[in-house]
Amino acid sequence: MLLAWRLWLRLRALFCRNRNDRLLDDEIQFHLDQQITEYVAAGMTRNEARHAAMRAFGNPTVLKEEVRDSWGWIWVEQIAQDLRYGARALAKNPGFAVTAVLAVALGIGVNTGIFSVLNGVALKLLPVPAANQMVSVDQILHGKFRRNVHGEPGLFSYSEYKDYRENNRVFSGLLAYAPFLGLVPLGGEKPRPLMGAETSCNFFDVLRERPALGREFVEADCSAPGASPVVVLSDELWRSRFGEDPQIVGTSISLNRTRFVVIGVAAPGFRGLDPWPSEFWVPVAMQKALEPDSDLLPEGNTGWLALLGRIRPGVSLEEIRANLGVIAGRIDQQYPGRTTSLAIHRATFLGRSEERSVVFGIGSVVLAAVGLVLLIACANVANLLLARASARQKEIAIRLSIGGSRWRIVRQLLAESLLIAFLGGTLGSIVVFWSVEGIARYLLAHLPPGVPRLVWDVSPDPYVWGYALVLTALTGIVFGLAPALHATRQDLSTAVKGNSAGFLGKTASGGMLRSTLVGVQAAVCMVLLIAAGLLMRGLYLTQTVDPGFEMKGITQARFDLSSAQGYNVARAQAFQREFIAHVEALPGVDEVEQARAMPLGHQFLGTELTPTGETELRQFEFNVVSPGFFAMLEMPIVRGRTFTEVATMADAAVLVVTESTARRLWPGRDAIGKTLRDEEKKEYRIVGVVKDSQVSHLGHSDGLFLYMPAGPKEQDVLQLLVHSKNNDVATINAIRESARALDPDLIVDVTRLEDNLELWRTPSRIVAVLSGVLGALALLLASIGVHGVVSYGVSQRIREIGVRMALGADGRDVMRVVLQQALWPVAIGGVIGIIVCAAVSQVLSDVLYGIGAHDPIAFIGVPVFLLATSFLASYAPARRASRLDPMEALRHE
Amino acid sequence: MAKPNDLVQGTLDLLILKTVSLEPKHGWAIAKRIQQISGEVLQVQQGSLYPALHRLEQKAWIKAKWMESETGRRAKFYCLTAAGRAQLVKEAENWNRLSAAINLAVQTT
Repeated sequence: MLLAWRLWLRLRALFCRNRNDRLLDDEIQFHLDQQITEYVAAGMTRNEARHAAMRAFGNPTVLKEEVRDSWGWIWVEQIAQDLRYGARALAKNPGFAVTAVLAVALGIGVNTGIFSVLNGVALKLLPVPAANQMVSVDQILHGKFRRNVHGEPGLFSYSEYKDYRENNRVFSGLLAYAPFLGLVPLGGEKPRPLMGAETSCNFFDVLRERPALGREFVEADCSAPGASPVVVLSDELWRSRFGEDPQIVGTSISLNRTRFVVIGVAAPGFRGLDPWPSEFWVPVAMQKALEPDSDLLPEGNTGWLALLGRIRPGVSLEEIRANLGVIAGRIDQQYPGRTTSLAIHRATFLGRSEERSVVFGIGSVVLAAVGLVLLIACANVANLLLARASARQKEIAIRLSIGGSRWRIVRQLLAESLLIAFLGGTLGSIVVFWSVEGIARYLLAHLPPGVPRLVWDVSPDPYVWGYALVLTALTGIVFGLAPALHATRQDLSTAVKGNSAGFLGKTASGGMLRSTLVGVQAAVCMVLLIAAGLLMRGLYLTQTVDPGFEMKGITQARFDLSSAQGYNVARAQAFQREFIAHVEALPGVDEVEQARAMPLGHQFLGTELTPTGETELRQFEFNVVSPGFFAMLEMPIVRGRTFTEVATMADAAVLVVTESTARRLWPGRDAIGKTLRDEEKKEYRIVGVVKDSQVSHLGHSDGLFLYMPAGPKEQDVLQLLVHSKNNDVATINAIRESARALDPDLIVDVTRLEDNLELWRTPSRIVAVLSGVLGALALLLASIGVHGVVSYGVSQRIREIGVRMALGADGRDVMRVVLQQALWPVAIGGVIGIIVCAAVSQVLSDVLYGIGAHDPIAFIGVPVFLLATSFLASYAPARRASRLDPMEALRHE
Repeated sequence: MAKPNDLVQGTLDLLILKTVSLEPKHGWAIAKRIQQISGEVLQVQQGSLYPALHRLEQKAWIKAKWMESETGRRAKFYCLTAAGRAQLVKEAENWNRLSAAINLAVQTT
């Protein structure tokens, strides 16, 4: 009751302020009149009495302020006042306002945009009902033991999954699925590779995703391996491939040449649990039917399943960790030496630790870079504010000397900077909210072929709004506080007298702070530009790099002759023989060779061998090639010879190694005739040494690398390289046709060998473009900053310049002085930037191909570039200064 | 050194509540009254009286009414509310305890 009344009083005080003010005036007037009457009664004249009463009463304005304060809304009034005042001040100076707002808009916009991408990629919950109840379970295994991994090391085996599922007390359901089940061909008229997932049969139940058509999996589908060949299609696949056939349920389709019965179509919008959309789901029990080469279900020690659980209501993450930890401990006892630690997170599209660490690593570097751009923008606006504050020195001094509190004035200046921040922040955020989805869609649609199609929902959600808001507020305070504090800390008497023209040797007010800000800008800008420079150099090198072998005129045909496609070694041999004969007969084709891994094709084969006479196993990369491979790719044999046809046909144990390998294993000796042993003690003799080339990783050619002959037993894993004198497109189509004639269901991927470079270049291209844009932004902001400060400095020192000229300095002297003063802070900041960059560029060297982190061109070119830009930015005002007429300058007020 | 008529911190509220507890009074009369009954020892500064009145009003301990004064002009009269009466009792007790304690401390040393 009392509280309600008080609330009512407060609200009345807020909304009837004007009336209350009037009543307060009446009340005070009444008091004064009462006092006057008393004094008159005591014998004073009316006039004397009035003065005495006023004196006794004190300052009515101060009193009113205090009374209003007691109404409890003074802060609202003052903030409104501050904002009104700030808005008026900005409106009076539109040039400044627009510059400042745009600088902030750029900074905030870039930051919010990047954050909303990061949010969409890594922070958003899965798009399933009640997604906040879903957690991903990931394991990290420590210790010395053997473990087979099918995918990533954090995945679980089927028996481990069952253990967690049956024995936990914290989940209402725990599902498992095999991620990265990629490129399963869907049979039919035009075979097409699909992305899909093998899932536990409670998959749709736990996710609470009801299919739009048909049914989801039931436990019976997972009861026995291979028993239930059923599949649920994605809505998108159903629309694009089956023409929205309403009768699809009950029909059968072929996946990897096994027939599956369609039992359902998932709801529109459900795309599985990976960043790239799944197009179908099959029960985990069908794993061997899809991938006949491996039988993972009974393997207790092979990780291949990712786990996601739906939390029982009221259970905390700690309880989950504790409960699952007990189960993990029990499993560890079966494998001596193994300790499992579990990582449990709210489920997002990046559920597994490796993915998270990669994305968060990249994300934090990018966020740091855009944060630096924002910092430059802040320094810029701070500098502009500082310049303005100096122009308003007199006004502030007067307000301080007639009793305005410093805090009140600081608050007012802060209100102005917050106003700028919010205008800029709103502008930047609106542009981002409106464009980020479109930009992301555009970029994702233009990834090079070979990169899985990604679907990321980067639309801004409350997190992004909150981020933009907090960032904006912080920005306003960061760039507003220093100038505000500085402006209110001044020598009142000189300021009031209006002595604004500082002389040389005695820097004008705020000069030090301004120079520092310029220095900071230069330093930050330098860091960004050098980073951008290094990345651009990296890009340039990957574009122009000579991988050490010839790619022109060569076409690659990639296909899969594994048992999943119904092949065995004999059938593969027959197919290869006929296919090669067909292709050799094509017009223009003059050479056909076989290789297991395509050069730079992102296929990495590894093996362990021991040089004879040593005991230590060494890791080698290898490829399996036909004898003409080296000649076709123009990789010179520097010692010995290539494989002979006879040796190849006989599966002889011979090897060709690269120069670096020979040098590292047998330094100073001839490698020909040396032998390597595998784990089964089989010996391989080296018959040739080939020149180093970057066949495996672009930019690296010095690893241990060896070639084995492509014998008859290898025919099911080999692919074709075709050299043709004719144009590529015709050759590609002809090769595709020949393959279709032999096996219409086989997916044969025919591309130019040069296309492989694309995938290598994409990461560095994206990073280089991003950093180039950021660097350009930084440079733009920094040069606006330098220009503003120099112009302001000149305008403040016109009188001094007049004096100097009157005393005999000519235009060039003046210009020199102005430029010197402008460029000193830039130079100092730049040097600091270079030092910082030299220290952190090691981080960048991971993404740079072929160049060191201390690339001299970037480290010398960029500083020169920055200095030249600052020179240009300060040239115009300096020139203006040098052209001043001394007489006018001296009269300048 | 403090002026002798400075009010002990926090006692102004008590004095105001006490003064308006008998009958509604306007600000000037409250100041006058406090001065009178304290034997001219306590001088209430207007600078603190009016803010205090408005503060007490916001706390709903006193209530304001515009009424005709003895001279016939309309003036703002303050009177005690039920909550204010309770507050008065509490503050008076506090004051008694405090002053007794101070007396004791002053006399025993």
